Amino acid sequence: MRRWLYSFSSGFVGVIILLMVWWGTGWLLVNFSHNGQFRDFLPIPALKAMGRLVEDPVFWSSVKVSLARVGIGLMMAFIFGFSSGIVLGISRQIRRFTTLPMQFVRMISPLSWMPIAILFFPSFEYAIYFLILMASVWPIIHNTSQGIQDVEPSWIDMARIQGASKFQLLVKVLLPFTLPYMLTGLRLALGIAWIILVPAEYLGINSGLGYLINDARDTMEYDRLMALVISIGILGFCLDSIFRFLTQYFNWRKK
Amino acid sequence: MNRRDFIKRSLSAAAVGTLMSPYTRAKQSETVRVGYLPITDAAPLLIAHANEFYKDEGLNAEPPGLIRSWSALVESFLARKFNVVHLLLPIPIWMRYKDKIPVKVVAWDHLNGSALTVKGDQGIHEFKDLGGKQVAVPYWYSMHNVILQMGIKKAGLKPVIKTHSEKIKKDEANLVLLPPPEMPPALASGQIDGYIVAEPFNALGELKLKARILRFTGDMWKNHPCCVVVMHEKTVDSDPVFTQKVVNAVVRAQKWILQNPAKTAGILSKEGKGYLPMSKETLDRVFLKYDTKTYGKGNLPQAIRHPEWNASRIGFQPYPYPTATRFIFDRLRETLVQGDNRFLKQVNPDFVVKDLVSYDYVKKAVLETGGPSVFTDMKIDSPWDREEVVEI
Repeated sequence: MRRWLYSFSSGFVGVIILLMVWWGTGWLLVNFSHNGQFRDFLPIPALKAMGRLVEDPVFWSSVKVSLARVGIGLMMAFIFGFSSGIVLGISRQIRRFTTLPMQFVRMISPLSWMPIAILFFPSFEYAIYFLILMASVWPIIHNTSQGIQDVEPSWIDMARIQGASKFQLLVKVLLPFTLPYMLTGLRLALGIAWIILVPAEYLGINSGLGYLINDARDTMEYDRLMALVISIGILGFCLDSIFRFLTQYFNWRKK
Repeated sequence: MNRRDFIKRSLSAAAVGTLMSPYTRAKQSETVRVGYLPITDAAPLLIAHANEFYKDEGLNAEPPGLIRSWSALVESFLARKFNVVHLLLPIPIWMRYKDKIPVKVVAWDHLNGSALTVKGDQGIHEFKDLGGKQVAVPYWYSMHNVILQMGIKKAGLKPVIKTHSEKIKKDEANLVLLPPPEMPPALASGQIDGYIVAEPFNALGELKLKARILRFTGDMWKNHPCCVVVMHEKTVDSDPVFTQKVVNAVVRAQKWILQNPAKTAGILSKEGKGYLPMSKETLDRVFLKYDTKTYGKGNLPQAIRHPEWNASRIGFQPYPYPTATRFIFDRLRETLVQGDNRFLKQVNPDFVVKDLVSYDYVKKAVLETGGPSVFTDMKIDSPWDREEVVEI
């Protein structure tokens, strides 16, 4: 309990410091550029806009669709990344073939897939899932495959000696061992998916947090923009906390 | 659209797709799928949807899709996510003659509707004051780039495209490419000294940044085209009924906007139906504010120098005059752009004028929608001819 309180209060101090840095740099920016337009970036207008934002039903429906997009994109990244991660982890042969092309594809900026996503998919919604998938699948593949490779060889031997089938080996030894790795991969993937969302919502859709940010930019409503930035930060933090909790819960090493 | 609607819709779309035999599908016309950028240039395509003019023509129309950059709009059009879009006039020129993409211009979307906006406190009043300055253009292949460079050259300056590290000389004006929404903030922060772009980003700069309009483009090239309505050549050739109906609806929307500018601003604004994210105040300025008291003689800079032209900030007239296509094509050859523009030398301008545009649909639509007297600057006795008036 005391440790929890301690970490909470230091987190609180951190947030205060962040607010002060925001206010300070914002103040410098406003005073040295002699332009009132930047005043809206400061904490007080932004927090006021935040108050208006949470009363806006459009905001909440945007939160819902954006979460759904990230959710679906991540789910696809998980299904694809997890299965190929296991295959890559198990087979050295396949690994040898795929390392080079995978490193190549991984290094392509997810947003440069945008034209391909537009041309290839029948709807913009699918194009957005695809962009999220392309950005977030890599840490899942990498971590899952690494987890499988890190399994103690003696454990595998032991299971084999006791007569475990290949399937049993996978389910009873390899997967439980890999679970924490995979959750870490998923957590990294979430961060990336969340980052990709805003530029991906440039495309022909009419809802979402990224869409609202783009709207605020088009109309120079910077207080609203900052309020949206904060809410995206808060939502991202909440999602990350869930994953962090799961990671700790399934981390058998600590237990 | 929430997720459930989305799933329902995709399921029903899939179901319809499988049930319909190829025979019935061929008979049924396409659905109108409009793609647009958040600028007032899109107004006719949007008003035709808002007032259900497509529906009146017996067409199904999807809600128009908002895209934030020209490149993404062009790509989405290529992928046939959209079948009716507005593009800056020179864009279909390079699409058709450089990349060999079969597109057709079916009408002019609007007239004028752009301006050169500069910082209010820098003493920039004339083109010659742009020496040593940075000016942003929305697209290399744009009417904006063409007109801007004409003005710069006329003032005895040299348009250049230089990288950040190179020094800009006193007799040079440097051009940079920026997406329209990024222009006002870049002006505010001092990265650029001016920008030439479609509305409402000029009105936004005036209202939010106390920026000044150096010149309206419609005051330099009288009632010039800016965006044109573009469709796939395959559609235009294979489904003339559909094409005619689309053009009719758009032309009717243009007429309606001319008669109801304030209502148009209201419908498009975020307070109205929200087709554009801007406020009614900003859009009102675009559709209504073009007076000599604010912009004419005695003001610095003087944005309107030809009050006798009776031009408007944004006008509407659908007929794609060959003289204007020819003019912009010829000028484009002399305009500095980044990238490979050799294709401009390889095609014959007379051929382009005939080949790029479909004239019949729009002629018919104009005559059926009240005739030439309804639209901006169309001669009653010879509606299909005009002379290009250009005074920098």
